[in-house]
Amino acid sequence: MARAVDELTALLGDDRVRDHPLDQHLFAKDAGLRRGGAPIVVFPESSDEVAAVVKIAGAHGMPIVARGAGTGLAGGAVPQEGSLLVVLTRMNRIFEIDEVGRTAWVGPGVVNLDLSEATADRGLHFAPDPSSQSACTIGGNVATNAGGPHCLAEGSTVAHILGVELVTADGSTVILGGEAPDTPGYDLRGVIVGSEGTLGIVTKVLVRLTENHLDAATLLMAFDTIEDAARTVSEVIAAGVVPAALEMMDKPMCVAVENFVQAGYPTDAAAVLLADVLGHPAGTAASIELLSDIAVRNGATSVRVATDESERALLWKGRKSAFGAIAQAAPDYYLNDTVVPRTRIAEVISKTYEIAERYDITLMNVFHAGDGNLHPLVSFDAAEPGMTERVVAAAREMVTVAVAAGGTLSGEHGIGFEKRDLMSSVFSPEDLDAQARLREAFDQDGVLNPGKVLPEGSRCFDWGPA
Amino acid sequence: MGWVTEWAPTKVELDACIDCGLCLPVCPTFQLTGDEAASPRGRLTAMRAVDEGIMVVDERFGEIMDFCLQCRACEVVCPSMVPFGRAMEGAKAEVVAQLPDARRAFKRSVFGRALRVRGLVTMASWMAAGAQRTGIAPRLPGLLGRIAGLRPIPIPVPSTRGRTWDPDGIPKGTIALFSGCVMDPWFSEVHVAVIQLLRTAGFRVVAPEKQTCCGALAAHEGAAYDAADMVERNVQAFEGFDTVVVDAAGCSAHLKAHAGGDGASLAARVVDATELVASLIAEGSLPTIDVDRGPVAIQDPCHLRHAQRIVDEPRAILRAAGYQPVEIDTHGMCCGAAGAYQLSHPETSDELGRRKADQVRTTGAKIVASANPGCEMQLRTHLDATVRVAHPVELYWEAVSEARVIAGN
Ligand SMILES: Cc1cc2nc3c(=O)[nH]c(=O)nc-3n(C[C@H](O)[C@H](O)[C@H](O)COP(=O)(O)OP(=O)(O)OC[C@H]3O[C@@H](n4cnc5c(N)ncnc54)[C@H](O)[C@@H]3O)c2cc1C
Ligand code: SF4
Ligand code: SF4
Repeated sequence: MARAVDELTALLGDDRVRDHPLDQHLFAKDAGLRRGGAPIVVFPESSDEVAAVVKIAGAHGMPIVARGAGTGLAGGAVPQEGSLLVVLTRMNRIFEIDEVGRTAWVGPGVVNLDLSEATADRGLHFAPDPSSQSACTIGGNVATNAGGPHCLAEGSTVAHILGVELVTADGSTVILGGEAPDTPGYDLRGVIVGSEGTLGIVTKVLVRLTENHLDAATLLMAFDTIEDAARTVSEVIAAGVVPAALEMMDKPMCVAVENFVQAGYPTDAAAVLLADVLGHPAGTAASIELLSDIAVRNGATSVRVATDESERALLWKGRKSAFGAIAQAAPDYYLNDTVVPRTRIAEVISKTYEIAERYDITLMNVFHAGDGNLHPLVSFDAAEPGMTERVVAAAREMVTVAVAAGGTLSGEHGIGFEKRDLMSSVFSPEDLDAQARLREAFDQDGVLNPGKVLPEGSRCFDWGPA
Repeated sequence: MGWVTEWAPTKVELDACIDCGLCLPVCPTFQLTGDEAASPRGRLTAMRAVDEGIMVVDERFGEIMDFCLQCRACEVVCPSMVPFGRAMEGAKAEVVAQLPDARRAFKRSVFGRALRVRGLVTMASWMAAGAQRTGIAPRLPGLLGRIAGLRPIPIPVPSTRGRTWDPDGIPKGTIALFSGCVMDPWFSEVHVAVIQLLRTAGFRVVAPEKQTCCGALAAHEGAAYDAADMVERNVQAFEGFDTVVVDAAGCSAHLKAHAGGDGASLAARVVDATELVASLIAEGSLPTIDVDRGPVAIQDPCHLRHAQRIVDEPRAILRAAGYQPVEIDTHGMCCGAAGAYQLSHPETSDELGRRKADQVRTTGAKIVASANPGCEMQLRTHLDATVRVAHPVELYWEAVSEARVIAGN
């Protein structure tokens, strides 16, 4: 290890290599629950430097873990003891913006919101808008296939990535995908999006930029039952009006948010829906009317329409502060992330409340209703003996309920370590084997982010190196 | 070994952090380095590691804490409302207690001791005034070089302490003036503006003799015991005054945070000059002047904007003076002055100072308003003499007195 540190230091200098126990401790965790072991931390500033550090790690048999801003919730960037942790925050240059083709080549360390701000004067933005968008990196978004409220109409990150430059496990640099609409050969770009640092380190990204909308309105609709709200969601989608975003929050969540930011959310409704309609003025007016009609027909007790920018911003601030609001309730939180068919939202939510009650934990719900991506949030105090175990067990049951209702494990936060062992509940051994083979094709020796995404023994016929 | 002082970050303060990382992008040191160890979350994690006995207060811990500007931008965006500034003062007190070294001892003697000795401040001011007149100021090293950012210091060195100013008619009430340590000799025009405006609004102004430095710089440098002494002395000096006006944002923030918590405490009676003047304008006790005086760039001192959440007031004051306030940065990034930070981290301080100066220059405004002496000096150091740096209240007083002269004619 000492040798590796010397070589890394010779390459990057003292300041960009860290092995002091305190630094190692600070980098052993992301925004999720689990703390890993002590890594050697490096801060490369170019693709070549990434390739060189990967080679050094390879020569010393060190596992390699990529890290962006560390806002991940699934433990994806959490290193195991003795890993090389490659921090990509300094690779935050926007290399070029093609205004006409609406694309940009950016470094993986560029912060999501910074990219949209940098392209705002050209009337463009990067569409995926995770609630963490002010902090998380494009590299992290690519690696987790991040989603956000506005991905309902625009699609998640995968729909906005045209190509990537990747440093592979052996330290070579390849470009996958590109500007052409249909690049010949396999779509390896698509494989990289969502790969959580297990197939290579993304060192440059070709993103698709989206035109800013001319007109926008936000609707806040309140309901007496979650069923009414859920039915509204289904009917809206069935009517063929796909709002840019369609979010649901239940009563405990609204109460917490109101306490926190006073955005004017009703605190007596069982559920609220927050919808964004974007487009040309004529279109938005029609959509507002249609949405309001459907909501009222399904029992909405109030519909508030915000058209001016500051009122819209305030309503969205409420939604985007949900995680913070819950943080007020107790020192720790656990955020689930599953997807269920829209028709079964109400049923799954009432089951999650039953589970929460059984485990005696505090639960609130906020989620991307439009695509059925649920985020049950548990707030708790990890210092209470046995609490973390209880929360994790309850979370697992909630995932099981979602999967049983025809859902899946992760909507957008990734599998990482958190949900790795649940993969076998949605995939057959053959499915997992196929995934493991793909991973092996990129990383024969299993050095890239080992222990993440796929459970041990995913490979049915384990003849390759473990 | 854990913590050794009563100032240490508490478990409650530290547990409030949920590791979400939303504070990272607004932190100047994280922006410059992309380094978790230079981020609010990293600093809190380091404190928690000591609190839990996993790590000790060693040199690396000291470095990580010392690199923080204590600008408190992280507090504003934190969804969990972590009291970062308080926790960091505690961590710095621990560093000073557990890692005695010459550099920190020197800073403690300056900020914890010398600033409250009026004779020493006056003597230093005479020396600075002399240096300014001989023209060697810009070439002096370290702290001394900072006097390049000072306003010309009048000779004899002025002081407000122990003086009283009466309004023209019968006083509506009395307001106490917090004189400050270097504010008094170095920024006397700001005091004059505040005093004259309060007189105009009908108040008697009293600057109690026995007051002393607020202790903010001492607290930021980990000299927590000295800082507590100073607060105590000020609590006594300002007993009996319902309102205490403070015209340096760093001092008003510190007194509000440290001088007690209950309704009658000094903390509750302190107002920043920008708050007081803006409210007097709003209620009509001070005039709104209808002259177009052109644009003024606004620099928000961290301890005004982040620590006290005062944002609208300086803008309202400038508008009332006839200026158009021009925003220079939406997030209110620290200018790098950060009290004594320039001494320990000149490169970072200069980099932030240059960025701030560039933002001001881009607006094309020939005046920049800042409500804190440290920021003012930093701006002046990084801008050339064609851009004037002034306190918003001072600009407003000029406009008011000019309007009076015109009216008088
Ligand atoms: C308050 C809060 C709200 C959130 N809201 C959302 C949301 O609405 N939607 C959503 O999808 N997520 C959300 N997240 C989760 C998280 O922000 C996203 O997963 C984000 O994409 C992670 O980006 P990051 O830069 O922080 O990556 P990290 O956490 O540093 O890493 C995440 C994963 O990506 C890998 N990785 C990072 N960079 C690279 C690279 N250059 N090459 C290869 N692999 C890499 C890591 O190894 C790890 O597996 C939220 C998190 C928080 C704390
Ligand atoms: S006080 Fe300022 S420099 Fe220190 S951690 Fe917070 S934002 Fe960063
Ligand atoms: S924003 Fe607050 S809770 Fe989140 S990491 Fe920063 S200090 Fe901790």
